Amino acid sequence: MKRELDKVRNIGISAHIDSGKTTLTERILFYTQRIHAIHDVKGKDGVGATMDSMELEKERGITIASAATYCEWKDHEINIIDTPGHVDFTIEVERSLRVLDGAILVLCSVGGVQSQSITVDQQMRRYKVPCIAFINKCDRSGANPMRVIGQLRDKLGHNAVAMQIPIGLEADHEGVVDLVTMQALYFDGENGETVRFEEIPAALRDEASVRREELVDAASMFSDELTEAILEEQEIAPDLLLDALRAGALKREITPVFMGSAYKNKAVQPLLDAVNRILPSPMDVVNEALDLDHDEAPVSLKSDTTAPIVSLAFKLEDGPYGQLTYLRVYQGTIKKGDFVVNVRTGKKVKIGRLVRMHANQMEDIDILRAGYIGALFGVDCASGDTFVSPGLNLTMTSMFVPNPVISLAVVPKDNKAQVNMSKALNRFSKEDPTFRTYVDDETGETIIEGMGELHLEVYVERMKREYSAEVSTGQPRVAYRETITRRAEFNYTHKKQTGGAGQYGRVAGFMEPLADGDFEFENKVVGGSIPTQFIAAVEKGFRNCLAKGPKMEYPVTGVKIQINDGASHAVDSSEMAFQAAARGAFHEGYGRAKPTILEPIMKVVVETPTEFQGQVMGTINQRRGIILGTQDEGNMCVVESQVPLAEMFGYSTVLRSSTQGKAQFTMEFALYKQVPQSVAEELEKKYAEAKKSVA
Amino acid sequence: MLKNELIMRNPLRILGNDTDDLIPAGGCGAVVSRAGVGKTSLLVQIALNSMLRDQQVLHISIDDPVRKVNLWYKEMLQDLADRYQVQQINELWERVLPYRFIMAFHVDGFSVPRLRERLEELREQDIFTPQVLLIDGLPLDDERREMLAEVKVLATDMRMHVWFSILSHRHEEPAADGLPLQLAGVADRFDVILQLQPEGKDIFVRALKGPRTGEAQPTLQLDPTTMLIKTAS
Repeated sequence: MKRELDKVRNIGISAHIDSGKTTLTERILFYTQRIHAIHDVKGKDGVGATMDSMELEKERGITIASAATYCEWKDHEINIIDTPGHVDFTIEVERSLRVLDGAILVLCSVGGVQSQSITVDQQMRRYKVPCIAFINKCDRSGANPMRVIGQLRDKLGHNAVAMQIPIGLEADHEGVVDLVTMQALYFDGENGETVRFEEIPAALRDEASVRREELVDAASMFSDELTEAILEEQEIAPDLLLDALRAGALKREITPVFMGSAYKNKAVQPLLDAVNRILPSPMDVVNEALDLDHDEAPVSLKSDTTAPIVSLAFKLEDGPYGQLTYLRVYQGTIKKGDFVVNVRTGKKVKIGRLVRMHANQMEDIDILRAGYIGALFGVDCASGDTFVSPGLNLTMTSMFVPNPVISLAVVPKDNKAQVNMSKALNRFSKEDPTFRTYVDDETGETIIEGMGELHLEVYVERMKREYSAEVSTGQPRVAYRETITRRAEFNYTHKKQTGGAGQYGRVAGFMEPLADGDFEFENKVVGGSIPTQFIAAVEKGFRNCLAKGPKMEYPVTGVKIQINDGASHAVDSSEMAFQAAARGAFHEGYGRAKPTILEPIMKVVVETPTEFQGQVMGTINQRRGIILGTQDEGNMCVVESQVPLAEMFGYSTVLRSSTQGKAQFTMEFALYKQVPQSVAEELEKKYAEAKKSVA
Repeated sequence: MLKNELIMRNPLRILGNDTDDLIPAGGCGAVVSRAGVGKTSLLVQIALNSMLRDQQVLHISIDDPVRKVNLWYKEMLQDLADRYQVQQINELWERVLPYRFIMAFHVDGFSVPRLRERLEELREQDIFTPQVLLIDGLPLDDERREMLAEVKVLATDMRMHVWFSILSHRHEEPAADGLPLQLAGVADRFDVILQLQPEGKDIFVRALKGPRTGEAQPTLQLDPTTMLIKTAS
């Protein structure tokens, strides 16, 4: 392993589904000689792309889990995380971005900036990941990279600048003109491995000059030296221009845009050059940890290999040799045989086998330095755990994890399946924080929860394939919530004096809707009418009521409770009595506070050819959806809407049949909203029936 | 209740005649100003005022994406609610949202026949039947002036009234009738023309054509921090 940290790149490749990011990764691995043959996703040779390591991914032609790999390009080490494109799996994307220093945003030159690109871009912004863009599929019919650059500016607000212009498009796509060196680049050989430099074709000279001027102009914002050179009309050296672009890109104030066709082996090598030249090394990025000894005060970490270790487990995988934990080291050096501490559990862990991953193959290594990504064997931990040197008490900032919105009952076919299912569920919930599982107390069923239909479907499939757990599934269930809609007073006395020690407690106050947040408790009791030592018990009593709402047993959210009076008894009052009094008070107030049911509303974005726009809007309208707007993109149209999750089951089939399979959609959680009266009545009816059948 | 409060307090009403709408169905209005002075924010306020009165508003945006337009509405409503200390803004937002539909077009992709086709689809399926149409960002150059007549026919057929935003240029002197050059020859197509005029730190809203012009009109301004319309202090 090399030592110069400035020659290390940890990058992600993020994009909309089907933009060709797995194909691009495949080509990168080929040109960096990590693989010696190219197999395409959905290819005819049946081998599948190297990065799609899971069987299921090969079959579906999509990438589900991030596979980490590393390669070398012109004396630089590049660690790549291939990230999934479907919105259902965005936790994977989020995790990757959390540990990466830079990213390539892959866009399709025909489809342009699509809905998922917007989500991915928001995530990059959240984690301040500098990026360069690659406009892929320039060989496809309808390719228009300059339009995509315009969309990067308009739709995503990037200060996007072309670094290249294409030499021919669609079937005539031959190569690119590099606007920095002002040379034409062609890619010869069976797999485009030989880069041939030529003069710019005469027909493109004028356009190249104009675009270069735009590029130089945009870059000059980040370099006084470059501005000076422009003003003095000097020749602009490529390094001067690239330095300025790098400075802008690191601040996320400029997005250099490259283009080509990974599938046709065009212009992948210049993109790799840009990864080395423009994207940050671990030294360029400031990472922060939280000091648990000082109220989680942020602490800047140094990419110093001699400092104490701080590292983050960002992904777990279950392989044939046990649990594989993907790790990013932020500070210090992890050595085989060293001891580190898992901050969450406080357990000391010995570093056994240390490996570097290449898709589903691995290479043993002895040390892992700050800035690098590798994997550990045989360490029991959860995804998102921080490992540090003994004596440190730092944790990496927690990752943003959304709550699940959909659940499904899974029933194992037999005992063997039951055992395997438990193993699988245990693993999945450790790997993916948005995937949760529990046993329903009343029905005894195992319930899995996640971010969408496809998210859960994939886990059910994986249970079957990887763990041989034959399971059947119930109907998907929506994660409804209860809340209150008006202020209501309560004044409840809990009194029990039959046999044994008595119980006494009175709790008075009011509850009201809380706009932001799940629950807030405020104590305004004066004069000790509820003794201070029982206030915590009162709060606990209220909190315990939130898990199952009195209306229809859905979790309660958006409630503020203030207590302002009460009473106690010198002998009969206890924590238990006040908890019971709080429960009584909650039920008393809740009934008066006009409780209602909330349902998850999803942001649904459909991309459709214009001729089907009417039908698409119809399907949304029939599903209680609100159409926010439509965006015309030439022959395509994007319909943005908000639709209740309960109405979205089976939507992919409906959309396919009403648009001849030409439209696609993405869906993600947007907000919780009150259900209409008719739906509330329907839910109440179902609830009453279920209650009756249990009884 | 909340809605009524906001409607009553909206200074935009002052510009109106006997009715709440400045222009009748089938009529056209224009907001004219230089770039960056506040045309879109005034249009969005006109839209919000209509939405609060349960009128369906179709907002056509030329070149700005749906997300950006949506943000305009969200922020303007928030500012409006803040100014009048109206609580429960989320609830209000949810209530007015179904009254708005945004269509974003690229300038070259926008045409009146295309718009008519879209509108007919929306009406046929009973998805949306706009009473107010806003067209924001359409450059009124020579080749597009003819569109005004087509839009007017569409508005009459569909019983909507239409508001345009029109960009004027700093370097151009007004025409002899005092109207911006962009309106030369087409001013008669508009029932109301409002001009946004920056003077020092203030932006004044002046009616160049409409029910109350000249001395008769009240002094209205755009608050430079929120871009909300207000009576001059």
